[in-house]
Amino acid sequence: MRKLVVSVQNEVHQFWERIREWCGDSSYERYQRAMARKREPLLLSPQQFYVQQLERKYSRPNRCC
Amino acid sequence: MKKVISTFAWIVIAVIGAGALATIALQRNERISATWFVVAAACFYMVAYRFYSAFLAAKLVALDDSRATPAERNDDGRDFVPTNKWVLFGHHFAAIAGPGPLVGPTLAAQFGYLPGTLWLIAGAAFAGCVQDFVILFCSIRRNGKSLGEMARDEVGKRGGFIAQLAVLAILIILLGVVALVVVNALKTSPWATFTLAMTIPIALLMGVYLRYLRPGRVLEASLIGLALVLFVVVAGQWVANSAPWASVFTLSGVALAFWIIAYGFAASALPVWLLLAPRDYLSAFIKAGAIFSLAAGILIVRPEIQMPALTKFIDGSGPVFAGKIFPFCFITIACGAISGFHSLISSGTTPKMIQREGHARLIGYGAMLLESFVGVMAMVAACAMQPGVYFAINSPAGVVGTAPDAVAATISGWGYHLDPQTMVNMAHAVGEQTLFNRAGGAPSLAVGMAQIFSSTIGGDRLMSIWYHFAIMFEALFILTVLDAGTRVGRFMVQEMGGRVWKPFGQTSWMPSVVISSALVVCAWGYFLYQGVIDPFGGINSLWPLFGIANQLLAAVALVVATTILLKMGRLKWIWVTLVPMVWLITITMTASWQKIFSGNPRIGFLSGAKALAAQIAAGKIPAARLTEMQRTIFNLRLDAVVTAVLAAMILVLVVEALLRWTAILTKRSEAVLHETPYAATQWVGGAEGD
Repeated sequence: MRKLVVSVQNEVHQFWERIREWCGDSSYERYQRAMARKREPLLLSPQQFYVQQLERKYSRPNRCC
Repeated sequence: MKKVISTFAWIVIAVIGAGALATIALQRNERISATWFVVAAACFYMVAYRFYSAFLAAKLVALDDSRATPAERNDDGRDFVPTNKWVLFGHHFAAIAGPGPLVGPTLAAQFGYLPGTLWLIAGAAFAGCVQDFVILFCSIRRNGKSLGEMARDEVGKRGGFIAQLAVLAILIILLGVVALVVVNALKTSPWATFTLAMTIPIALLMGVYLRYLRPGRVLEASLIGLALVLFVVVAGQWVANSAPWASVFTLSGVALAFWIIAYGFAASALPVWLLLAPRDYLSAFIKAGAIFSLAAGILIVRPEIQMPALTKFIDGSGPVFAGKIFPFCFITIACGAISGFHSLISSGTTPKMIQREGHARLIGYGAMLLESFVGVMAMVAACAMQPGVYFAINSPAGVVGTAPDAVAATISGWGYHLDPQTMVNMAHAVGEQTLFNRAGGAPSLAVGMAQIFSSTIGGDRLMSIWYHFAIMFEALFILTVLDAGTRVGRFMVQEMGGRVWKPFGQTSWMPSVVISSALVVCAWGYFLYQGVIDPFGGINSLWPLFGIANQLLAAVALVVATTILLKMGRLKWIWVTLVPMVWLITITMTASWQKIFSGNPRIGFLSGAKALAAQIAAGKIPAARLTEMQRTIFNLRLDAVVTAVLAAMILVLVVEALLRWTAILTKRSEAVLHETPYAATQWVGGAEGD
């Protein structure tokens, strides 16, 4: 029973993380991880990252008819 | 044993799907349940995905999971981000699913449920999904290059230029026509106008929250925004019931058009974090929720289809838009079966985020199948209402008149009985003053959705809330397309202007921002205004123009795909992209020819202009309407020129491609592929987000 609860908890957690990823909620965390993997310093604060990300996203077709 | 069970299961799915399709196609004079549509579509999609997309992945393009994708090669945590395939599927679907698959099938329902449904299902599997998947593959193999860049590299300079022009043309026409759909949904409706107007301060609030209070916390801000939006949907009823407030929010079509033009300009020129992005977040959540709710509602309610399989309007005399079933059914459905715009998404963000080439099958092919399913649901929602009601909502005043009795008499005369009291009761039930002459597809879809939702939750008591929720949902994400599209158009104009005068190309230089935004807004605003003042409702002339532009872009994408496949030595399988390409060129050219030269004034732009000019010359137009009619004549001629330019573009591209193909096949020119060199993936045990 406990195994089942843990398994359900994991599934829910994973689903939640996917939703966060889909809507962009965890974008800065991903940026942090990417920089850590490459052992490069974090050049952007959360605010700067958020604004720059939006500027790039909305400068090319990203919503269809 | 496993193989036997699997084979048996797929035979069962295929037989059930074929049975459901046969029921839809062969049933006459008896109403059928919407369940048949869902079953037929679902089984067909499953078989198409399992077998056809597997064939495309293995034989046509030979996806290679051992090859590093652009996300792995350039992983920078910003543009190139390796993303879980289901998350990317959601991203890609949210990007490609716009108002087209909802509005197109709703309008095409005037031919009956059969032609549109068959094209939605088959067109997606054999054309739309193929285009999205192959272009995604081509872009992955070229480090995420755009369609325009691939056209220039693989077809030729002219091909690249035409692709760029086609993108700008489709963008301008698209924005004009979707804005017209919003205007027709909101005009003289204080409840709907108030609800939509309130989404602007809500988005501004979310923008400030996301920028300064909790940077990037999209879920929190979206939940706050969603709660506020639901509140304003309900509050709209109080506004509509209060005479002073109702008069503030009761706007004519022309007034609404100018407000929307002003909004488009503001959204393009203001910082993106303030209005555009938060609105997009709201729209994405509401879009996903509404689409899944509609699917669930159809499955629970299982409404009966009341529209016949084929109506008398297949002869081209339809009131919603004029033109025969061929080619106008295909031009009108557009996005639900194949959309050129998707090729921009498939060669935009998605290829930069894909982890493995193998994921392209689910994302490129699978997401388009889901979009087609949305189109089938819209068709069900439109066809589940009484045909008389459908035609009363979607027919413009210029065709059926404005007085309820006259409208009812005209529509009943076509063989679709309509009691004027039915329309009065329905308008009352959804909280509107009238539902007559609301061309554009959005109000009839909202009525269909409200009927399905209220049969599931709340009954007749909640009908008006559901109707306005549906209108808000449609208008909200149409405006998202509008503001995002205006901004992209602004960047394209700035880039082109920058080639002539460098400072103009600086995207943050305010004079350039203002001028380029104004140019783009004026361009689509002109089409919007033209549609609003059109006595035939605007949709009759503008939606086919949009369909032609959209299918033109799809033809461009398929020309690029065919050229690349030829260079890859896939001559044996070239029919996979060649057949849909030839089909698209045939329908685009036929529709263009008819829209320009047809002798029927309701179809042909030139004969329409000639007929109006003859009426003026004969003194049949009252002096008060003379200026309006002269403007309409000018607009019709302008539409003819725009259509001719679009048709000429496709002809030039086809000739260019044919020359290139002949040179390759006769070995006069070397088949040089511009692929990124092979690099083996380093992600042996799974990548980020796996």
